[in-house]
Amino acid sequence: MITIESARVRFASTEGGAPMVALADVSLTIARGEFLCILGPSGCGKTTLLKAMMGLVPLDSGQIRIGSHAVTGPGADRAMVFQNYALLPWADVTANIAFGLELRGASREECARQAAHWIKAVGLGGFEHHLPRQLSGGMQQRVGLARALAVEPEILLMDEPFGAVDAQTRRLLQEDLLDLMQRSGKTVVFVTHSMEEAVLLGDRVALMSPRPGRVREVIEVGLTRPRTASVEREPRFTELKEYLWERLRAMRDEAADA
Amino acid sequence: MPDGAGRARVAGLLRLGGWAGGELVAAVPLLAGLAVWELAGWMLGFRFLPPFSRVLATAVGMIAGGELMAPLGASLLSLAAGYLPAAGLGVTLGLLMGRSRGLEFVLSPYLNAFMATPRIALVPILYIVLGLNRAVQAVVVFLGAFFVIVWSTMRGVRSADRDHVEMARAFGATKRQVMWKILLPSALPLTLAGLRLGIGQAIRAMIAAEMFIAVFGLGALLRTYGGRFDAERLLAVLLVVVAVALVCALAAARLDRHLTAWSRTPR
Repeated sequence: MITIESARVRFASTEGGAPMVALADVSLTIARGEFLCILGPSGCGKTTLLKAMMGLVPLDSGQIRIGSHAVTGPGADRAMVFQNYALLPWADVTANIAFGLELRGASREECARQAAHWIKAVGLGGFEHHLPRQLSGGMQQRVGLARALAVEPEILLMDEPFGAVDAQTRRLLQEDLLDLMQRSGKTVVFVTHSMEEAVLLGDRVALMSPRPGRVREVIEVGLTRPRTASVEREPRFTELKEYLWERLRAMRDEAADA
Repeated sequence: MPDGAGRARVAGLLRLGGWAGGELVAAVPLLAGLAVWELAGWMLGFRFLPPFSRVLATAVGMIAGGELMAPLGASLLSLAAGYLPAAGLGVTLGLLMGRSRGLEFVLSPYLNAFMATPRIALVPILYIVLGLNRAVQAVVVFLGAFFVIVWSTMRGVRSADRDHVEMARAFGATKRQVMWKILLPSALPLTLAGLRLGIGQAIRAMIAAEMFIAVFGLGALLRTYGGRFDAERLLAVLLVVVAVALVCALAAARLDRHLTAWSRTPR
C-alpha cells in the first residue's frame, strides 16, 4: 500500500520571485495491486507527485510511505517508465532492458537471460541488438516498459508513457499493458492527460487540478476485470469519460475566471 | 556478450585494419592538391617550390640514408611523452570539472586564459627553468594538447542528458555508477573530438619548441635547412611531419567512428 499524507512540494521560481507550489497538501492511498490513474491538465503536478513517489523529488512537508517505510529515495520496490523513454542511445535494446539489473550488480548471464525474457514479453523479438534510434517511438517505450519490469518492482510508476506516440500505436500499447499488468498483481500508478486512457486502464482515477497542484476527486471506475479494449463500448465507459471531461472543463473555466 | 553483438564487434575491429573504399575516395582531394603542387613546381621553376615528386624522393632518401631517423625518433618520443599525460590528465580533469560546478567556476578562467595564450611564447622561459633538455619538448607538447582536451571533455560531460541521469537515479544508480554508466559514455563523442584536436595542437607545439632551440628533433632539422634556404629538404621534413599528423588523425578518426557510431544521425 502507498500512503501519501499531506505532501507538499515547492519549486524555486526561476525569476527569483515567490516559489511555485507544485503540490499543495496532497493525500492519497493506493491499495496493493491497484491500478491508479492520475489525470489532470498540464501543470497540475501529476508528474511531480509520481516523481515524489519514486523518491526523485523530495517533499517540503508531509510523507509518502510504501507499506510502513517512508520514501526517502529511489528503491528496488519501485520502477519508473518515463514519458520521453530515457533510453541510453549508445546501448542496444538488450543492454537498455538490462540496465536496472546491471546497476544492481546482476551477472552478465543473468542480465542477458532476463533481457531475453522481457524482450519476448513486450513483443520486441528480433530487435535485441538494435539501437534506440533505430526503433519507432512505440517500440522505444516497449523497451522502457521492459527495463522497468525487468527489475521486478512491486510498484510500477508510469509518467505519461504513451503521450508521445501516435494514436494507433498508443492503442496497441494500452492493450498490451492491460494484458501484462492484469496478470501480474503489481501496483501501478499511471499519469496521463487522456480521459479515455484513464478509464480504460484504471481501477480508480485521481483527478488533479493545477496552481497549486492538488487532488480534487478520486473516481471509482468500476469496470470489470480482466478488461480488454472492448470496454469502450460499455455505457459506463462513455459516462465516466463524459464526467471527467466536464470536470476538466470546469477546472479550466475556474482558472480562466481567476 | 550475446553472439550477434560479439560477431558484429569483431567484424568492426577487422575492418579497422583494412583500407575501406571510403578512405580512398577521401584521399582524392589530397591527391588533386599534390598534383597541382607537382605541376606548379615544374611550370614555375621557382627555386623555393620544388615539385612534389622531388620533395618526396628527397624525404625517402633522407629516411633511407638514416639522416632523418634520429630526429624523427626524438620528436615522436617527446610527442608521446607530452601527449599521453595530457590525454590522461586532461580527460580526468575534464570529467571532474564537468561534474562539479564549483571546480568549473574556479578553474575555467585559467582554462580560458591558457587556451587563448600562445603557449609557444612560454618556450624560452621553460628552457631557462628546466634547462636545455628534451623534457622541455614534452612539457610544451603537454601544454599544447592539455587545455583543449580538458575543455572538450568538460563540455562532453555537460552535454549529458539530464533525463538519463534521472533515469539512472530512479533505477538506484550510485554517484559512481552515474559517472561511469551515464556521464562518461555521454561525454565520449566530445572527449574524442578534444583528443583529436589535441593531437594537432601537440604536433604544432612540438615543432615550434624544437625550432626555437634547434637542437632536437624534426624542428631542429627544419631550422637547419631553413637557415640554408634548402627548400627541398625543408619541405621533405615538413612532409614527414604532415605524414605523422595524418597518421595520428586517421587513427583517431577510426577510433572515434568505431566508439561513437551511436551519436551520429542515421542517413
